[in-house]
Amino acid sequence: MRSLILKRLVQIIPLILGVIVMNFALIQLAPGSLLDIMTSEQQVTDPATLERMRELYGLDKPPVVQLLRYIYSVFTLDLGYSYRQNAPVLDIILAQLPSTLLLMLVSIGIAVTFGMIAGVIASVKVNTFWDVVISLAAVFFFAAPTFWLGIMLIIVFSVWLGWLPVGGMATIGVDYGFFGNIVDVIEHLILPSLSLGLFYTAIYTRVMRASMLEVFSLDFVRTARAKGLSTTRVILAHVYRNALLPVVTLLGLQLGTVLGGSVVIEAVFSWPGIGSLMLDSVMSRNYPVVLGVFVLSAVVVAIANLLVDIAYYRLDPRIRKR
Amino acid sequence: MTKLTRRFFLSTTAAVTLAATTLSLPGAVLAQETPKSGGTLVATWGGFEPQAVFVPGGGGSSPLISSTKILEPLIRMDGSAEFIPVLATEVTPSEDYTTYDITIRESVTWHDGTAFTVDDVIFSANEYWLPIVAKAALANFEGIEKVDDTTVRMTFSQPTPEFFIKNTLSTSLVLPKHIYEGSEIATNPINNTPVGTGPFKFKEWVRGSHIEYEKNADYWDEGKPYVDGLVLRYWRDAASRAAAMEAGELMLGVFNPIPAPDIDRLSETEDFVATTEGYLGAAWASTIEFNSRRDVVKDPAVRQAIMTALDRQLIADVVYFGRAKPGTSFVSSVNPMFYDDDLPTYEYDPDKAAEMLDAAGYPLEDGKRFTVNVLAAGWFEENGKVGQFVKQNLEDIGIEVNLTVPDRASSLKQIYGDYDYDIALSNHASQVEQVPKQTDYFATSGIVQGAAFRNANGYSNPVVDEIVAKMAVETDADVRVELAHEFQEILATDLPITILVEMESTTVHSAMVKGLGDRADISADSWSNAWLDK
Repeated sequence: MRSLILKRLVQIIPLILGVIVMNFALIQLAPGSLLDIMTSEQQVTDPATLERMRELYGLDKPPVVQLLRYIYSVFTLDLGYSYRQNAPVLDIILAQLPSTLLLMLVSIGIAVTFGMIAGVIASVKVNTFWDVVISLAAVFFFAAPTFWLGIMLIIVFSVWLGWLPVGGMATIGVDYGFFGNIVDVIEHLILPSLSLGLFYTAIYTRVMRASMLEVFSLDFVRTARAKGLSTTRVILAHVYRNALLPVVTLLGLQLGTVLGGSVVIEAVFSWPGIGSLMLDSVMSRNYPVVLGVFVLSAVVVAIANLLVDIAYYRLDPRIRKR
Repeated sequence: MTKLTRRFFLSTTAAVTLAATTLSLPGAVLAQETPKSGGTLVATWGGFEPQAVFVPGGGGSSPLISSTKILEPLIRMDGSAEFIPVLATEVTPSEDYTTYDITIRESVTWHDGTAFTVDDVIFSANEYWLPIVAKAALANFEGIEKVDDTTVRMTFSQPTPEFFIKNTLSTSLVLPKHIYEGSEIATNPINNTPVGTGPFKFKEWVRGSHIEYEKNADYWDEGKPYVDGLVLRYWRDAASRAAAMEAGELMLGVFNPIPAPDIDRLSETEDFVATTEGYLGAAWASTIEFNSRRDVVKDPAVRQAIMTALDRQLIADVVYFGRAKPGTSFVSSVNPMFYDDDLPTYEYDPDKAAEMLDAAGYPLEDGKRFTVNVLAAGWFEENGKVGQFVKQNLEDIGIEVNLTVPDRASSLKQIYGDYDYDIALSNHASQVEQVPKQTDYFATSGIVQGAAFRNANGYSNPVVDEIVAKMAVETDADVRVELAHEFQEILATDLPITILVEMESTTVHSAMVKGLGDRADISADSWSNAWLDK
């Protein structure tokens, strides 16, 4: 186990290098630069000021030098300074990353929990009314665009019923006390996490159902039944555990896409995460922030995948034996 | 139920006022309500999150909204293009208009308790206005000196029109010398937690969510602000902004905060008010710009034919849901001073446009006359849709169109850096004063490669340059208007850049929000007069 963790941690280094180089190249290839945006926003027309800004942003150096400098600073834990926001990049990202992580975790939690339950029920009740209902619901939530689903949830639960807030992460300017504030955040979290999570719930439902049905047909399940084990015990102790592996694999693969999906949901629900920051920074070619967001996101996804690997290690004895 | 459109709202208001006057009813009572104190105003706007609370060089409409609640100018322009005192009580020109004496308001303090003095004005003029925010406007500025403890004198090398200088002062914020002195103003981290003299103090910025302000209890305008707090919420998605307004989470939205169909839907209820007041100082329009460096479109006859081929009313009706109208001049029709209403209108007539192109030497050959590269700037979503209409209209008369809709940074580079377009579809926020921000789009001096929102098309006309130079020093207001009309007449024929449609910017607010005031630019107002009727 320790060697697995160490191996995965070492693998993060080339991953981050790759993320930096690829994204740096993409930013360089995209037309327009931070300087274009800043000079237009600040109405700079004086050539001397333009040159001074170019130097200040480090854009006067060749791209290779800019890249090497950036790599060095990242590995000294300095993500640079955003002149557009007048603040260190790390401060800007850390102010918003926790909100995104919270949204991601809760959405994934909803997806995995409800997806697995629905998948198990659909597989156990295969070709029955319940299977049809669950499969139809899965198709609906898979097909529904997350932004549309978000708006629909807002209209029903916030505008019509008035049960839940439309947006934000907490009620502004009100302190409800420790537990009250937690409840307040949960209230704000329900709609965005459902909007994001239901799409992935549909996927997990389909995968879990297919995986369960596949395991049901294997010889050891027939043997377990022949031994006289109850259906519940066969499902929980034998089928469910073996059917989990594809779900865990999927979980690892989807963390990155959930982060991407949160960009849309954050916009709809005014959720103060890094989605908007990332989008604004790409649009304004604010490369220190863009690279910083991608580096930290890569680290988060890599660590999450490490946790998935550990879970896989625990779930599948074949991996432990290798 | 009658649909409460702007037109209906204005006509109803006018009718009520007329009836009140005619029947000797207490009209003033109808129009005036006693402001109530208390509550927190929660507002939003149709734009990006500000990159900093205060961006010294401007930074667009978002930081303009966030900074102007804290920092104030010396004077402010109202909705009739008149100037009202803020930190200055008087701005008086000398007889020859080469000096201006500015008397500052006494007993004003910065939010940190330090007294506001003439030194702050002198510092702002020398270190902020001149080098950063008003360099072009202060081209003839020679210096500023202290006359006494409450008066400073600005000196100019040439006579400087009173409206021109007052307009500059109204858009230039005063900075605290004791905080910025010795630092780089543009990159000072204090710009994220500014200290000003305004009605609201900065309290907190939760990035990605909101900026919170608290009432400045020591504000110089006694009794104001009426609200105890202000929250500016950043809300990226316009559709859910509308839902948030309906759910009561947002009370005020400026600069087209919600989709156009929702404006009509919400204002049909008694709970919301939609108004187009407060955009005199930033009258937005959709523009068409012809690159004078490119072969075909450098010909004014071709430009006129293209303008005649465009169904701009359809663009206004479909793309802007009727909240726009075809424009005739680069000067907005809401401009009470300089707009010339007697200019060519270029009514939609594709047959006439085809004849004009034939006459200009571009006959139809094999179903095509020529090809143009049309760039629809990506800073407003509508520009791409306008581009589709333009493409269709031009292809109807045999002009092949390569339409691209690059994002914001790419558009800036292509239009202002590389001049890489034949026709650019862009936008412009028209101000009341013409020099220099408006005239820089046409004057030869406005050509500065890489500098945005000025003369990118390479148009150079000595007659126009001469008019612009005269407008910068002409102190007779009537003569300035004549010069502005002459300027517009030339440009309406040469058409280097002109207005496709004038966009109707709208503010939507809850009916309980009152006192938004009679201001030229609602975004840049301090909102000290706003109050909540609840």
